[in-house]
Amino acid sequence: SFTNQATQHSQDLNPPSGITELSLRSFIDMGFTESQAEQIYESLANVRKGDSAKHILPTLTALFVLGLNPSSVKKCLEKCPELYTIKEAQLQQRISNLRKIGLVEGSLQRMVAHYPRILTVPSKRVKNVVMFLKEKCLFTSQQVTDIIRDCPAVVLENLDQLEYKFQYVYFRMGVKQAEMVKCRLFRYSLDEIRCRHTFLERRGFYETPDKKGQTTIINPNLDSVLNVDQDTFLAHVAQTSAEEYDVFKRLAAREWQEGELQQGRTEPD
Amino acid sequence: EKWAATHPKLPPTRLAVHHFDATYSTQLGQLWPSVRLAMLSERKYGALLNNFSHNVALTELKAQGCVDFISEREKDVPSCLEEKSEEPSDVSMKSSDADGEQLSLSPNIKCLVFPRGDVTRFKPARPDKNGLLGYYLMDAASLLPCLALDVQEGHSVLDLCGAPGGKTLALLQTQAIRFLCINDSSVSRTLRLRKVLHSYVPKHFLTNENLRITSFDGTKWGEIESNTFDRVLVDVPCTTDRHSLMEDDNNIFSKNRTGERRRLPQLQLELLLAGIQAACPGGEILYSTCTLSQNQNLSVVEQAIYQAREKDGIHLQVVDLKPLMRMFGNTFHFAPDLHLGEMVIPHLVANFGPIYMCKLKRLT
Ligand SMILES: C[S@@+](CC[C@H](N)C(=O)[O-])C[C@H]1O[C@@H](n2cnc3c(N)ncnc32)[C@H](O)[C@@H]1O
Repeated sequence: SFTNQATQHSQDLNPPSGITELSLRSFIDMGFTESQAEQIYESLANVRKGDSAKHILPTLTALFVLGLNPSSVKKCLEKCPELYTIKEAQLQQRISNLRKIGLVEGSLQRMVAHYPRILTVPSKRVKNVVMFLKEKCLFTSQQVTDIIRDCPAVVLENLDQLEYKFQYVYFRMGVKQAEMVKCRLFRYSLDEIRCRHTFLERRGFYETPDKKGQTTIINPNLDSVLNVDQDTFLAHVAQTSAEEYDVFKRLAAREWQEGELQQGRTEPD
Repeated sequence: EKWAATHPKLPPTRLAVHHFDATYSTQLGQLWPSVRLAMLSERKYGALLNNFSHNVALTELKAQGCVDFISEREKDVPSCLEEKSEEPSDVSMKSSDADGEQLSLSPNIKCLVFPRGDVTRFKPARPDKNGLLGYYLMDAASLLPCLALDVQEGHSVLDLCGAPGGKTLALLQTQAIRFLCINDSSVSRTLRLRKVLHSYVPKHFLTNENLRITSFDGTKWGEIESNTFDRVLVDVPCTTDRHSLMEDDNNIFSKNRTGERRRLPQLQLELLLAGIQAACPGGEILYSTCTLSQNQNLSVVEQAIYQAREKDGIHLQVVDLKPLMRMFGNTFHFAPDLHLGEMVIPHLVANFGPIYMCKLKRLT
């Protein structure tokens, strides 16, 4: 109703008494520059939830404790405004869980700076993904740590799709866990992986290893297939033109879309 | 084959890939990876317009972005060809290529395709009020043998291996043929051919006076009816490369068909020789396949030319198809430097073929 809206509105403009200490001054005291402080102050006012502002102080503290400097802290808040609303206890628990997984100071700090959203993911979810990677995909603990550090977004992926992606690369492409970790496989979507792989396979440049792990040609390594831009991929690995690849991408997208209904996941044979 | 013996469960499509990798990579060199990719991906079709149908599919298909690759060539398009009405005409157009060589194309064969790189599919053709369908979907490159056959007004034509009838249908569109004889040794496939003809051609064109459908072993044709036809199309059974790569059913690379596959070049040779005998002196024979295999293409033609002369005393001249190749270079990718005949090789941006064709003229 109109009255409710009005109340809500005035609340946003005048922070409740509990957080009056969050003045511009207090942000500047934390080390933010004047303009950074102003921006944080403003975005704080824009956060919808009325009680969110009280969580900001512990969150900022936690980020500073992780070793982030004021400008990366501000970037984190911009990338992930949800950070304004996390409760202190939750945040501490999530950070300590990530430490338990093996993310030590330097890498934890870099990961949070790069992907602050990781702090919004419940510990239980992260634990499940870790278990999954260890039990279903047989990654070692160290490899799991590396995966979470290099591809933190993996914790939000659907586990069925994650399993499909892993099996695709493991069985169809014949790539072992160590190589997957090394080339940061989980940064790429299944479609990206499968598009480049199938293109190479149909051109005769990639073969699925037989039961003894043997192929009649030497497959290009995963790194040279995935970790390069399209032009480099086409010139050096696929050895063809962008025109051909463009048509292929359109055909492949249609093939997969139409196959999705019947086709289960790739069966290991 | 040794490799296959150690992997008994390998499906025929896999056997076909291995076979092609071994033979075509040397034959096509640098071109092979793109040809391989194209054959393993969805092919493109052309819509052969049916002049007998009242459904004017032309405008509809053009509205979807199709072009008639035969009349709407980028260069060297005689204006009269473009302005031609829908009404079938019985005059062939002479169009000359850059070298001044003459090549006549029937103006009545129209085939619509989506442009290079466009992967839109055709909808199934619809019947008109008489039940005749507006177009026939086929590999657009399959029309090249029909065009190259160069059927003229009043010709008698033999289609030695005619089922299921795509090329026959294209030949009938010219409405120039006095008598057409369609043969195919497979009875079930000739039944399919009859069905196709009835869905596309009015009954009064399919009388005994204009048309005969038979199911003989084509290799015996020379004994049945020699020195007869102005034009003979010899579209032989082959390894059907595309089909062999994509379908495990009815695959010529399956273990139990190895013998049949090995005998193909001999069968093809006999069919071509029979076709040569069936043509009249001065008549022309067109040999075609849908394989890239040298053994089934050039070698067969070479052998046939040799044996026709040695055994039957028939002298043949190879007719140059370069003009045709130049005319349609924008629509199809052709294999470079073939010393005998021409070949459309598949490529993803123009995913037609493979089609090999070679034209012979009987001198004696
Ligand atoms: C490539 S297909 C012909 C396709 C057809 N020309 C068309 O365009 O629809 C080859 C045909 O040869 C037939 N065939 C196989 N052996 C034959 C023989 N000995 N005599 C006549 N036809 C034969 C097969 O039944 C098959 O239908």
